[in-house]
Amino acid sequence: MSINDLPVLSALRTKMQWHQERQRVLSENVSNSDTPNFRPRELVEPKFDKTGAPAGSMGPLAMTVTSASHMTPSGAPSSFDQNKNAGFETRPAGNAVNLEEEMTKSANNQMDYAAVTSLYAKSLHLLKTAIGKG
Amino acid sequence: MANDSSDFARSMAIATSGLRAQAGRMRVISENIANADSTSSTAGGDPYRRKVPTFSSALDRTLDAQVVTLGKIKPDQSNFRVKYEPSNPAADASGNVKYPNVNSVVEMTDMRDAQRSYEANVNIISATRRMIQRTLDILKS
Repeated sequence: MSINDLPVLSALRTKMQWHQERQRVLSENVSNSDTPNFRPRELVEPKFDKTGAPAGSMGPLAMTVTSASHMTPSGAPSSFDQNKNAGFETRPAGNAVNLEEEMTKSANNQMDYAAVTSLYAKSLHLLKTAIGKG
Repeated sequence: MANDSSDFARSMAIATSGLRAQAGRMRVISENIANADSTSSTAGGDPYRRKVPTFSSALDRTLDAQVVTLGKIKPDQSNFRVKYEPSNPAADASGNVKYPNVNSVVEMTDMRDAQRSYEANVNIISATRRMIQRTLDILKS
């Protein structure tokens, strides 16, 4: 069993990936805050079962590209489930991005990510202690 | 995933596309404000016509993400302001001078809006940078 297979570490890693991807989605929303007919997107938070493996709410399978000339479908692929109901305040141009909301989400995302990385570092420290090097 | 570059790098690139688009919008707004009183160089001719920037969302295939691009800069088709100034060299036969259809109040609000969006994109970049820093901090512990 490698270090990466530890339930705690793999759960934390999935969570870190989720935050990373969420930051990308939020960044898309903010940069398109003036694009007509743009609908903001949001990711569904992953849930973990008792073994630390993510349970449900994962994204759809990505399409396999068999030739380099194939086009990607519009809307970036995501490995997490998307919440398409984000944004309830639509401006006359059809844009539903609320900058304040996106900024709050980004700040939250950053703080949560900081918490997860601290937990990860602590878990590694715990392992070091266990093998007598801490 | 088609793209192996980290999501953080992509977040930064997307926010940068936002910065570029807003900076382009600022350029158009400053052009409008600077020309708010430009009349035609010929008598009775049309003065400067206000320009309107447009934004469009495009899928960047190298990034695999929706980035924003500054689309065509279109002319505003609204009417020119007309003032009666017979002594002006740009006046037509009846003494009327056409002034640009630029309203400085509209331009100012647009400018504030562009500034606000620009700041939001800068905030996203600094938040992403802090997150990258946290990832590197794991190595230090």
